[in-house]
Amino acid sequence: MMTRRGLIRAGAAAVGSLALRPFGLLPALAQSGSNYRALVCIFLFGGNDSNNTIIPMDDVNYPAYTSIRQSLALPTSELTPTVYSTSNAPYAFHGKLPEIASMFSSKELAVVANVGSLVQPLTRAQYQAQQAPVPLNLFSHADQQQQWQTSIAQGNGPTGWGGRVADYIESQNFNSSKFPVFFSVAGNAELGTGATTTPVSLSPGGSLQLAGFSSSAASQARFSAMNNLLTLDSGALLAQAANATLANSISDATSLDQALAKGTKLKTAFPDTVLGLQLQQVAQVIQVASLLGMQRQIFFCSLGGFDTHAGELEGHNALYPQFSQAASAFYSATQELGVTENVTTFTESDFSRTFQPTTTDGTDHGWGSHHMVFGGAVQGGQIFGTFPTFELGGPNDTDTRGRWIPTISIDQYGATLASWFGVPDTALPTVFPNFPNFGSQKIGFLG
Amino acid sequence: MKKLVWVLFVSSLAFGQTANTIVRRGPRDASQMTDRAAARFLDQATWGATPALIAALEQLGIDNWLAAQFAAPTSDLPDQAILTSTGQSNNNLTPVVGAFFANTVNGQDQLRQRVAFILSQMWVVSQVSVHPAYAFPPYWRIFRDNAFGNWSDIIKAVTLSPAMGTYLNMANNNKANPANGSAANENYARELMQLFTLGLNVLNSNGTPALDSNNNPIPTYNQAQVTSLAKVMTGWTYPTAPGATAKTNNPSYYFGQMFAVESEHDTTAKSIFNNVTVPAGQTAEQDLDTVIAALMQQPTMAPFVSKQLIQHMVTSNPSTGYVYRVADVFSGTQGNMQAVITAILTDPEARAGDDPNAPANPSFGHLREPILFMTDMVRGLNGTVTSANSLDNLTSELNQNLFNPPTVFSYFSPLNQVSAGLYGPEFQIYSTQTAADRADIVNTAIYGKLDSTTTLNLTPFVQLAGNVNSLLNYIGYVFLHSGMSSSLQQAAAQAANAQTTPTAKAQAALYAVLTSSEYQVIQ
Repeated sequence: MMTRRGLIRAGAAAVGSLALRPFGLLPALAQSGSNYRALVCIFLFGGNDSNNTIIPMDDVNYPAYTSIRQSLALPTSELTPTVYSTSNAPYAFHGKLPEIASMFSSKELAVVANVGSLVQPLTRAQYQAQQAPVPLNLFSHADQQQQWQTSIAQGNGPTGWGGRVADYIESQNFNSSKFPVFFSVAGNAELGTGATTTPVSLSPGGSLQLAGFSSSAASQARFSAMNNLLTLDSGALLAQAANATLANSISDATSLDQALAKGTKLKTAFPDTVLGLQLQQVAQVIQVASLLGMQRQIFFCSLGGFDTHAGELEGHNALYPQFSQAASAFYSATQELGVTENVTTFTESDFSRTFQPTTTDGTDHGWGSHHMVFGGAVQGGQIFGTFPTFELGGPNDTDTRGRWIPTISIDQYGATLASWFGVPDTALPTVFPNFPNFGSQKIGFLG
Repeated sequence: MKKLVWVLFVSSLAFGQTANTIVRRGPRDASQMTDRAAARFLDQATWGATPALIAALEQLGIDNWLAAQFAAPTSDLPDQAILTSTGQSNNNLTPVVGAFFANTVNGQDQLRQRVAFILSQMWVVSQVSVHPAYAFPPYWRIFRDNAFGNWSDIIKAVTLSPAMGTYLNMANNNKANPANGSAANENYARELMQLFTLGLNVLNSNGTPALDSNNNPIPTYNQAQVTSLAKVMTGWTYPTAPGATAKTNNPSYYFGQMFAVESEHDTTAKSIFNNVTVPAGQTAEQDLDTVIAALMQQPTMAPFVSKQLIQHMVTSNPSTGYVYRVADVFSGTQGNMQAVITAILTDPEARAGDDPNAPANPSFGHLREPILFMTDMVRGLNGTVTSANSLDNLTSELNQNLFNPPTVFSYFSPLNQVSAGLYGPEFQIYSTQTAADRADIVNTAIYGKLDSTTTLNLTPFVQLAGNVNSLLNYIGYVFLHSGMSSSLQQAAAQAANAQTTPTAKAQAALYAVLTSSEYQVIQ
């Protein structure tokens, strides 16, 4: 593999297309302090079967769960010890999520039940009679991943809700630099595409500094030639798009490298896993947020493999420990950095999955899903919203396989997060156009 | 446009002769193809233009060159051991991906390999969930062998492939079991329609979505039809390994095709897409053949498939007319791939840019995906690549890890938009990180070593570097269809002229060109 070792060049890139960011000057003494806020998205790609993430353990639901889920039903020996919500209802998490259960018990983590893409509130009767609008291309990975990121159930991209939040933050000059608000450690994500802002993407442990340049005149001539080309408008739209991405990379590279170089190694040990390394990188950026001039940042992480049509128990046994341990380490890191109150982490996923199993010991594509939110600002230890009725063909089912019609929309979930982040109520309908369809009702997990 | 006889020049270098002058001559009577036209065509049809290939195409002309490619001896990927020497599952794909990259440089069947790779990106199987290395050469051969065959044969061969059987769970997909309340697995049924054949919405023959009376797109199928098609796809298991006894649900085995186990096939009547009825009482294979025949009758499939093939080969944003013309060949020939590929490559829209004075089409072209960037650069820089190469490590850094796409949606989606209405599938994996990494890979190629076994030869470039204009002309001939813009010439000259030695001048000019968007986006 390549090593990223680039010698730091002297000059700054001079770029000037509309699509390009102004060069991110490093502020001398920016202070983030207690006003700093970060949102951290962990996207569980493939559609997490949240029916096996958290299970209601009361006398009605748990027997219904075991009776319908059969071979996929987790016995109590494969669940965490029962935890009680603040309203004293019993729940258990998947046994491979002990850290998550512990955060729930210590009121650092909340669960938001049955969230999904919706155009407007929807009943089973309306769905079956096709009497109300439903999201575009339900049960399709690509479309539902997109709608979780755009919060536009009708499927009209191309901006993400995180990008639109970033647009607002930029427009209000929350940050003292022009470093991007949206920061992905998991590649491009539509969540971060704004109308007026673009995200920065960094691989965990990576760098954006270009290799091979020195301060010699010969080298600087090469570098300057490269930069001159990036400002060229040839009229070819895809070439322009490629120019913009490389120019953004060059303009973000120096401030990012310089800031990260001033960070100190975190004492918190992160697991050496895909998600562990991503969240470690996020924590390291949060540590130097003030050096980047950032008061508001949105981070994007992801973990794939949740499309468990077959062998779901084995799949979860491999994936859940990674999720649980990485999430827990990240929360510990925010404690170490003294920013627990300033950082809110939340999950997204394509959809949940059929309550009824397949003949291959898995589950097929579903809809409404339970999600986790954690951080010091979260009203932890609570279940927000209601679990669906565990009945195939029952009141929450689209058909007869247990694809739950959501009772909380992505708009409500996202607006709650964005509101805490600093988007005022008056601006929420701009970021979440369908939010008024749900009475502009936020969910109380951030107070 | 005048031709420059770079081939003679370069081959003379190979024989240790001195080439002092560059001979200029007029277009060949045989084809009248310019260097620009030939190199553009090869950028769409091969792993990258080289002086030798440009000369061959100019000599043969497109039709004869295509005929030769259709008949060219085929490259292969080496079969792998099932178990390691210690009896574990052999999951090491390194020899296979190494051979793949060596073939891109050394194989004569350039067009076949390109099409096979494109098909493998449309019919995805990934080592993310199919672990044994030996599963992959047989799976890839489906696309190699059918690249110029028939689309319906591809549907059937993939459907019965044990690798796909694992990846989308058609293997051991038993019929519903009332005793434990389980239902047939919907995975393959859904993605067969959504990704491989029909797409989500009914299309007009020019690829635009058909609309209902309320101006809404029309779904090609509904959820109930997915559930029904899942029943159609029940009753198949893995091939029986040599020496093993056939079981209702065999363990995974990746040589050969899956076979039907009728006792686990759902024989009820099913209503599938377009309200086609699969009659009750058929065998598993009869059901499958009914479905394939019905798919081949769906008018949506021709534009759905044709547009993606065009996007991979020529342009991310084909006009409706281009899609229509190719789809028309697809449906008119019942999915004859040889005819479809010919239609794509010879279409007036693909060839328009051969004329340097043609009006610019701002949305034309496509970003080189990482593997295509790597192969074109290595071929253009006279690479010597053996199957011991590790070029895949570099393309993986750019998010294209061969045979390991992250999901069934492959490395990037044909639906990815760069901005509203402007499609750019390959941009889905082009980020601030991978853009920097891509430039750094150029840096490694030019100033370092791509890997311990791959060698590049910059000599032909260095030999010309005494005259920067000659150098840039030659770089443009190899990498930019003899059409380097004046701005890029100016920038590359600025970079080269600041260097002192011929080697440094050649390196600086190559770095400037190969990192430029003018090169990275094939136009």
